[in-house]
Amino acid sequence: MIIESSDRVSRLSWFKRFPIPRNFKVTPESRIEKGRTWPAPAYAKRVKAFEIYRYDPDSGGNPHLDTFHVDVDDCGPMVLDALFWIKNKVDSTLAFRRSCREGVCGSCAMNMDGTNWLACTRFISDMGTNATIYPLANLRIIKDLVPDLTHIFAQYAAIEPWLHSKTPEPEKERLQSPEDRSQLDGYYECILCFCCTSGCPSHWWNGNRFLGPAALLQAWRWLTDSRDEAKGKRLDALEDPFRLYRCHTILNCTRTCPKGLNPGKAIAEIKKAIVEREK
Amino acid sequence: MIKNGTTDGNSTPARPRPLSPNIQIYRPQLTSVLSIANRITGLILSLGAVGLVIWLSAAAAGPQAYGVVQSVIGSWAGQVALFGCTFAFFLHLCGGIRHLVWDTVHGFELRSIYISGWTVVVSSVALTVIAWVISLLIAGWPQ
Amino acid sequence: MNRRSFRSPLARALGLGSAKSGAQHWWAQRVSAIALVPLCLWFVVSIVTHAGSDYAVFAAWIRTPLAASCMILLLVALFHHSALGLQVVIEDYVHSGVRFVVIILVRFGCYGLTVIGIVATLLIAFSG
Repeated sequence: MIIESSDRVSRLSWFKRFPIPRNFKVTPESRIEKGRTWPAPAYAKRVKAFEIYRYDPDSGGNPHLDTFHVDVDDCGPMVLDALFWIKNKVDSTLAFRRSCREGVCGSCAMNMDGTNWLACTRFISDMGTNATIYPLANLRIIKDLVPDLTHIFAQYAAIEPWLHSKTPEPEKERLQSPEDRSQLDGYYECILCFCCTSGCPSHWWNGNRFLGPAALLQAWRWLTDSRDEAKGKRLDALEDPFRLYRCHTILNCTRTCPKGLNPGKAIAEIKKAIVEREK
Repeated sequence: MIKNGTTDGNSTPARPRPLSPNIQIYRPQLTSVLSIANRITGLILSLGAVGLVIWLSAAAAGPQAYGVVQSVIGSWAGQVALFGCTFAFFLHLCGGIRHLVWDTVHGFELRSIYISGWTVVVSSVALTVIAWVISLLIAGWPQ
Repeated sequence: MNRRSFRSPLARALGLGSAKSGAQHWWAQRVSAIALVPLCLWFVVSIVTHAGSDYAVFAAWIRTPLAASCMILLLVALFHHSALGLQVVIEDYVHSGVRFVVIILVRFGCYGLTVIGIVATLLIAFSG
């Protein structure tokens, strides 16, 4: 009942999805059809079924859900290992992003059992009996589990995630006290996997204008940097009914962050800073 | 060559890329459920506010009109609606206080988020029950 | 986002730029919320303690200066809060140009109901 950290998987077995029709607000090209079932090899003793979202751009068809039966004794402990097993042994056309396989690159973010997380740090044993794997929610899909991140990276670029300074460049490094440096803790660690932005209902409905939790957490990371000299300009750019204030503190972001960061808190800090300079 | 999506270079209209499912598959969590609950109760209370104005206007019109409105409220459906409004009010009140605390940048640790969330659920149910028990003790069951 | 367009992704993300406003709306929502906490509690307690009472008792209650004042303050804060909240809900879900019309109508409705409620309260307070 009480979730203490974001790596805890919800144990509630009822109410796995909102009680709305499957095709609620789904446009024709996004409708998910039934796919095929891939059986486990005959020798497999312990088998786990994974329902996986598939989309082949070259087929001209719609996305579909394939069921793969994975030999758990033959593959590693993580969901990413299961994906590798499927790609190596069953269907080599399965497409997904991955790189570091240890939760630092943010490539393998996807939706597993209804929540966003990194496939490399989610245990297969933590997956439910009807394990489902979808790409990150609410993104245009290039192929299978590979979403088009162009827009959310552009939103990240929009907050100008670099140091703004008018003071002439010092000869050596720009100094920062240990206390000031500690202000960045909990914000600089973001790996831009976009689990939060993709899990934010406000971004689902207004993603074209609302910057989303990932970009706003980064915005605060620069706002709170003692070396940055563009606080006012940054706040001006953020103070907008949609860019910032579409955040209604739902906190799906904080619940889902695979690095245990707190985008919700970062956004609250930005709102507080805006009030502080006005009142 | 990318056949689908944004740039394919030839003149045939590109088939749009599918949008991955969002609310259709995303797991309801205390965070999102209480947020949508706060929104729905807000909408209910807006309707309740219209009811308040009708009630006041009826009272201003005189005892007769007031009696009509009171009998509507006293009816079975009226009591259910009033009970719903009471619960919506307490949920919105408790949820709203939780939001006001967040606005001061407090209580953002996941543990606090969940504790405050369940506190909102439990206290709004309790306050609704308490309000109705007291009102029934004072007035007796509506005729 | 999937339409063929030669606008750059950054141009799309930046859109029409920052409105450099929104804090006022957010702040007003909070201020009205804070005002509503005591006012609503006063109202609920009053209703609960007046449960089942007849017109004469009710009218006598509204006639007290405290109750009339609180009722008017409640109406103002309630409908202000409601108008702000409904506007956010509309902006969230209505993306066509209809939203401007709906937001205006909601505003007018809330202002109108506030005035009607205040006039009704004053009529009761100064009657008899």
